[in-house]
Amino acid sequence: MTGMVPLHLSHFQSLLLFAVIISLAFGTLGRRDPLERLKYAAWSLAMFVLVAVALGWLMYPFSR
Amino acid sequence: MFDDLIESRTAGGAASNASAETGDTPAPVHEAHPQQVRCNHAVAYDFRAVAIAIVGWILPGFGHALLRMWGRAVTIFLTVGFLVYLGTGMRGNLFAPGGDDAFARLGYAADLGTGSFYYLARGLEPSGADVSHADGDYGTRFLATAGVLNLLAALHAYEAARRRKA
Repeated sequence: MTGMVPLHLSHFQSLLLFAVIISLAFGTLGRRDPLERLKYAAWSLAMFVLVAVALGWLMYPFSR
Repeated sequence: MFDDLIESRTAGGAASNASAETGDTPAPVHEAHPQQVRCNHAVAYDFRAVAIAIVGWILPGFGHALLRMWGRAVTIFLTVGFLVYLGTGMRGNLFAPGGDDAFARLGYAADLGTGSFYYLARGLEPSGADVSHADGDYGTRFLATAGVLNLLAALHAYEAARRRKA
């Protein structure tokens, strides 16, 4: 199978893409009401990004 | 399936009423004990639920589609498919069977969670993995997440088929 486009994303872009996809899936699978789904997806997305950035800063002093 | 049970009971009840009206003696019917019937139905339910879970694992979302949960079926199919596509596009490591250490074996188990998409990803990644860059490392996580998500979805389909979850 050919035609696969190689993707070159930065750390943050990859993180954001991952968070968006998984949050949407969590929202759809975890709740039944459309508004609740949206709220849960937004909450998951915010938590994914915030926790990842916070952990990144926590590890920053040990990176050098 | 319980609907069939209700229908058969209703039909049995209607037949006995009819015999009472005509005055005929009802023919002896060898009915199974209600508890046994219920047990047989439960076994059939379990078998059906396991079959739905396996089908859902092999083709992501298909288990929910069989349960007519269309929204969830489409979501699972698209999410798992998109994660596998992105993971292979980022040249993530798709673990092969017979890994040297526990991590490789766990990685293989997670990747195999995508079912048929595992072999699709193998076909999509002809030049192999490249984890020397951040892309490849993230791609490995994307592939593993797709597998674990699909396994969770198959488990959800199993529970839904047993009517424990909606």
